[in-house]
Amino acid sequence: MLSASLYITSCSAKNRLRARLRRLREPRYLIGAIAGIAYFYFAIFAPRGRRAAARPGRNAPDFGAAFQMTGTSLGGLFVMLAAALPWVLPSKSKLLQFSDAEKDFLFAAPVTRRALLAHRILRSQIGSLIASLFIGLFAAPLSGPGRLRLAAGFWLILATSNIYFAAVQLTRARLQSSVGAVRAVAWVPIGLLAAGLVVVGSSVARQLMQPAAGAADVFVRLSRVTSAGLPKIVLSPFVAVIRPPFSTAAGFFPALVSAVAVLILVTAWMLMSDAMFDEVAGQGGGPVSEDQRKTKVLPARVAKVGWTLPLHGRPELALMWKGSMETMRGISAKSLRYLAPALFGVGGAAFGILQANRLRGPAAAVSIIAGIVAVAAVVFGPQIARSDLRTDFEHLDLLKTWPLRAADVIRGEMLWPAILVSSILWMAVLVAAVFSAAAAPGMPFFSRVSFALTAAIAGPALIAAQYAVHATFTIFFPAWVQIGSQRTRGIDAMGQRLIMLLAIVVSLALFALPGALGGGVVWLIFRNLVGNVVFVPAAIVFAAIVLVEVLAVTELLGPAYERIDVTSVERAE
Amino acid sequence: MPIAVEHFSRAYGAFTAVDDLSITVGPGEIVGLIGPNGAGKTTTLRALAGILLPTSGRIVVDGHDLATDGIAAKRRLAFMPDEPHLFEYLTVSEHLRLIARLYAVPDFEQRAKALLEELELVGKEQSLPGELSRGMRQKVVIACGLVRDASTLLFDEPLTGLDPLGIRKMRQTIVARGRAGAAILVSSHLLHLVEEICTRVVIMDRGKKVADGTVVELAATAEAAAGSNLEQIFLKVTGRE
Repeated sequence: MLSASLYITSCSAKNRLRARLRRLREPRYLIGAIAGIAYFYFAIFAPRGRRAAARPGRNAPDFGAAFQMTGTSLGGLFVMLAAALPWVLPSKSKLLQFSDAEKDFLFAAPVTRRALLAHRILRSQIGSLIASLFIGLFAAPLSGPGRLRLAAGFWLILATSNIYFAAVQLTRARLQSSVGAVRAVAWVPIGLLAAGLVVVGSSVARQLMQPAAGAADVFVRLSRVTSAGLPKIVLSPFVAVIRPPFSTAAGFFPALVSAVAVLILVTAWMLMSDAMFDEVAGQGGGPVSEDQRKTKVLPARVAKVGWTLPLHGRPELALMWKGSMETMRGISAKSLRYLAPALFGVGGAAFGILQANRLRGPAAAVSIIAGIVAVAAVVFGPQIARSDLRTDFEHLDLLKTWPLRAADVIRGEMLWPAILVSSILWMAVLVAAVFSAAAAPGMPFFSRVSFALTAAIAGPALIAAQYAVHATFTIFFPAWVQIGSQRTRGIDAMGQRLIMLLAIVVSLALFALPGALGGGVVWLIFRNLVGNVVFVPAAIVFAAIVLVEVLAVTELLGPAYERIDVTSVERAE
Repeated sequence: MPIAVEHFSRAYGAFTAVDDLSITVGPGEIVGLIGPNGAGKTTTLRALAGILLPTSGRIVVDGHDLATDGIAAKRRLAFMPDEPHLFEYLTVSEHLRLIARLYAVPDFEQRAKALLEELELVGKEQSLPGELSRGMRQKVVIACGLVRDASTLLFDEPLTGLDPLGIRKMRQTIVARGRAGAAILVSSHLLHLVEEICTRVVIMDRGKKVADGTVVELAATAEAAAGSNLEQIFLKVTGRE
């Protein structure tokens, strides 16, 4: 099986590379590739001046040394918490998601399920290796061996975490087994992790309960408590995983040996957890049995939506309805797992702002958090809520048969996610405004209300503008579109992401410029008359101009949408 | 003429999948499109449905050029592909409703009810595609195609995934729609089906049309023995005898 697995992996990689090179015959993709290569060239080779300056300490960057001193134990704590997360908020491991071709060819082949798991481990290494090599290449101040060490360390982290998440999913499935012995074995890793969490958690809790002088004090105390005694022993396997990339040349090999030992242990655990392999592999999609199909969806949720599509009206609204159904039915308790890191980030940022402005009290905290959520909705919302043309490219064949104007399809696809993200923005702005007296005590009431209204009016226009940019890229570069959970790869796709990032910033600026000029004129004329209230009519003018621009862009994109070649969309295996 | 394909060619890079194809399908005609794998049948149907753009040539549906008057042409078309691609989070009835809205179907409720009964989808109205078997999903795709009064029907392997009863009903449905005046183009490898339901047959090979006519005409053209069936004619025409 190992040779077959290597054969599949190498042939697939070779042919994928060929297909991507063929794609570069088209100038638009070639430009993407050039941008990607140029970026890497400048990231790796260009900053010679800065590297020369860093030469004396190039093998031992300060960050790495500092991390070795204090950060690894805290990093271990973080890894331990991350390791506990999939037990509480289960998710599907990518490693266990066999492609349809793998199911059809390999499941029917005379090989053990364990061999299939080993095949998936092997196949997933291509992605991990490429990602690690890129991380190594990006580390511009490091020397060649330093980059290799970094790449090897990150490869170990990626490989271990991938296999760990697969092992968790397989072990969780064992808990559902009808055989008592199979269930009992599944409780062993859960028990070990729970005991470890109790040991470390109680020590950390004792420290946190004592009054702290500040954030730095908390950091120092947590570092101290996690790097001594029983917590240190408990955290040692978690620390071992993250130690290699941050090791010095001298400490690298001992760190590597520990990390490899953990990887072997996790791999052995995963391979021995194959008792419920078929159930888990079936959940990944593909040829599932009738019984599995029935458990895959919850029919009760179908009835709950309660929004019937009227038989008459604009096509954009029909597409908006379709998008809303997909979102409402697609959200499940499992989706909440994405909230945890988001809340962590928002909470951290809010804590920082509160500390910097010497603000106290829950009202101020709520207002700051809501403000951060509002900003995040505008900046990141259109990147995250992708239920627009990007997702529906999976159904491009069907969309192209519909008797609709291309501009209507483009607008209809944008409408639902834009409204969804705008609703989140509005709710966040409302909450921030309600509690704003605590967060901005020196600001007059009318000013606070004006700023809130300004955000609520201008924000959706910026959100719509971003969706217009995404639609533009989807239509002009269909081969780069990420269909569903599939991720586009290749140097040109890397260049595309860089271009995309730049394009979003530039196009947002371009979209905003006429609106800002219009709003600016209003502000200049009325600012002395009405004070900060002037921002509201200025925002109205701004939003109106931007939305007209968005409408114009969707119309202009129509002919390009009609010309999309469906064969240029990259399909998954 | 409901379907008029004039000098249609389609290339994928350096490979020409369909080369200078011209065919017509009149009202009430059921034309079978047959050919070996890679003959260009699916490419032709997908171009007719407006999914693929022709490299050259012209496709006209009910007098509307697909390139210049695509919306009017598509309004008259119903394409039923062999792979049932459905929206994961829309129920069966919601799929039909969405199609009714997009194609402005006037008497949707009655049509949907009748179709669900005809295709044995009663009781599955509130099911999501993930809950349905492949055959059932194929039936939903067919229902979406038939729920509107399309004058032109395009079937790509319409019997794939259907059970024996479903196959019989599908045959009857295609014939009934043809008798009602629809222009129908059916691509299939099931030559006995094509021979049974089609009024005319077009044979393609390596992207080109190699024969066009009734089974009797094809037999005469191919100089096949008297009483030859379509399979024998097909093998002779494509040189695979």
